[in-house]
Amino acid sequence: MRFQRILPAVILLMAPVAAVCLLFLSVMYGSKSISQETVWQAFFSFDAENVDHQIVMVSRLPRAVGALLIGAFLAISGALMQGMTRNYLASPSIMGVSDGSIFLVTLAMIFLPSSNSISLIVVSMIGSAIGAAIVFGLGWLIPGGLIPVRLAILGTIIGTFLSGLSAAAASYFQLSQGVSFWYNAKLHAMDPTLIKLSIPFAIAGLGLALLLSRSVTVMSLGDDVAAGLGQRTALVRVLILLTVVILTGVSVALAGKIAFIGLIVPHIARFFCGEDYQRIIPVSGVLGGLFLAFCDILARFINYPFETPIGVVTAMFGVPFFLYLIKTRGGGKHA
Amino acid sequence: MPDPLASRGWSVSAVILAVLAGGAYLSLTSGMFDLTFAEMVKTLLRIDPVKEHDLVVFDFRLPRIVLSALVGAALGMAGTVIQGVTRNGLADPGILGINAGAGLAVVLFMFFFQGSMQIKGWMAVMIMPMFGLVGGFMAVLLIYLFSQQNGRLDPQRLILVGIAIASGFGAATLYVSLKMNPNDFEMAAVWLAGSIYNANWKYVLTMLPWLIILPPILWWKSRSLDLIQLGEDSAISLGVKVERDKHILLLCSIGLVAASVAVSGSIGFVGLIAPHMARRLVGLNHTNILPVSGLIGAAMVVWGDYVGKTIFAPAELAAGIVISIIGVPYFVFLLLKMKR
Repeated sequence: MRFQRILPAVILLMAPVAAVCLLFLSVMYGSKSISQETVWQAFFSFDAENVDHQIVMVSRLPRAVGALLIGAFLAISGALMQGMTRNYLASPSIMGVSDGSIFLVTLAMIFLPSSNSISLIVVSMIGSAIGAAIVFGLGWLIPGGLIPVRLAILGTIIGTFLSGLSAAAASYFQLSQGVSFWYNAKLHAMDPTLIKLSIPFAIAGLGLALLLSRSVTVMSLGDDVAAGLGQRTALVRVLILLTVVILTGVSVALAGKIAFIGLIVPHIARFFCGEDYQRIIPVSGVLGGLFLAFCDILARFINYPFETPIGVVTAMFGVPFFLYLIKTRGGGKHA
Repeated sequence: MPDPLASRGWSVSAVILAVLAGGAYLSLTSGMFDLTFAEMVKTLLRIDPVKEHDLVVFDFRLPRIVLSALVGAALGMAGTVIQGVTRNGLADPGILGINAGAGLAVVLFMFFFQGSMQIKGWMAVMIMPMFGLVGGFMAVLLIYLFSQQNGRLDPQRLILVGIAIASGFGAATLYVSLKMNPNDFEMAAVWLAGSIYNANWKYVLTMLPWLIILPPILWWKSRSLDLIQLGEDSAISLGVKVERDKHILLLCSIGLVAASVAVSGSIGFVGLIAPHMARRLVGLNHTNILPVSGLIGAAMVVWGDYVGKTIFAPAELAAGIVISIIGVPYFVFLLLKMKR
């Protein structure tokens, strides 16, 4: 279709503008509104004495940037997983990847309380890898376990299990409060140093995702076709999983588990750009970032002046969409 | 051919009762304040009562044990019926979002009425399950609406829709509970965690009417439940009014779930595991499965609560978490066994 060739380009060109707009809205509005001039001043002539400047630079700006980045990471992870497994329900939060991360972060906070930010990111990535390994391993063992609906059931159940274990461990070591940050996503308490630390990982993950996008398209045609076209499927699979693990791990380390972004956004991107993952992946990233930033702004206004947990906002969009997918796509078919 | 397992009903029940009693005994005697066997018997039989023992036994431990048993029994039976009606071995009130629906309704009730209407105490406690019933019913309606395709219920899709609905209701519950004033929020948070540690006799009395009225109805309909297993067409041709009976059965089991959610929050996986164990033990006849599954559920929650309160003492782990840690591997095992 014609519009599927032009639209991705339009989206990608418009994205920076939209991102900057959302960034501004996000910085200006909240429980304390800050005027446009003050924001400019905070950017260009920062005054450490001024409370408003502090709010802008320490709280609002990291939060907005974080939301954009995390949304992009999660959406790209979801797109990669959906392409690789040909499973229209695949996404980091449904497949237990995020829960694996949270589980290991909890353990790290208990046993290595002095660990610094960088090791937190690494631990979170290892956790993602463990979560993914358990779910896909079981799916592979169970007859028909890789059928979309069944893998989704497995993923959510394993996710519940891992988060139950984290809750148990946390309450045993009386750390519930510190750890509960990770269950209830904490966009509002974004740590600027953590964001800076995560940049190299993010670049690696995004670069890998873009490099792999061609292979994902081939993969999404099915294993046999991919092998017939000369793709080294095992290698590609490992690389894709590695990318998912990096991206999800970083976003959990930054803000905890945020559900549904990785599920919804790739579908929307696919609607705009057809089946070519070279377009789907960048468009997913862009739309994911914008969507999460938008949800984050919404979260401040639903129950003004109190913040609504971001999970509630994403669920508001995500649950109906999820139900719609199950209703229209059925149980057995592949994406 | 008579089912060889069917005649084992009584002996199996006796064994489960013994397990249940063992859990109750441990739970009654150990804790922050240990009692000896003699002390426990003396206190229970009112032989020269000691005030401290009375307090520990009658105000703290006994209501908790009784409530655990009641909740477990309700969930075990409800799970049996739901698995039977949907003909789906993976169904469970927790997984299907019925708990979450009932939970949302109860939290809404706390939010709107608890503060303003002066019906604290008896009235409020008795009304909560009613609201739970409405919420649970909503959840079931939604599940049917979304998982039915060409008039057929696809088992796996049912589960997934349930999971989605549970997470939606969960998010709504979180949202409502955050809008509450701090006092009510505290209460809601404790309750939502699926724990029984704030049990008291009032809750036990709330549960009782539901447990007295509904199980006999289920038991009376258990024959239809057997026939539904043969497929709806066969059941209809055997003279079962399938639609009507299904509705009665589902409504009663939602009632049981609602009552237990109202007093103890959401405890998952009991309704999943108990019926499977019961089927293994006493065969496929629902007249037998139903009571045995109730007993197994009761034993599970009593033990789960005991483990939760002792293993990490003095910190308490909600019984729901303990059971889900056992329940998940079992669920995966069931999935492993299931043919495609």
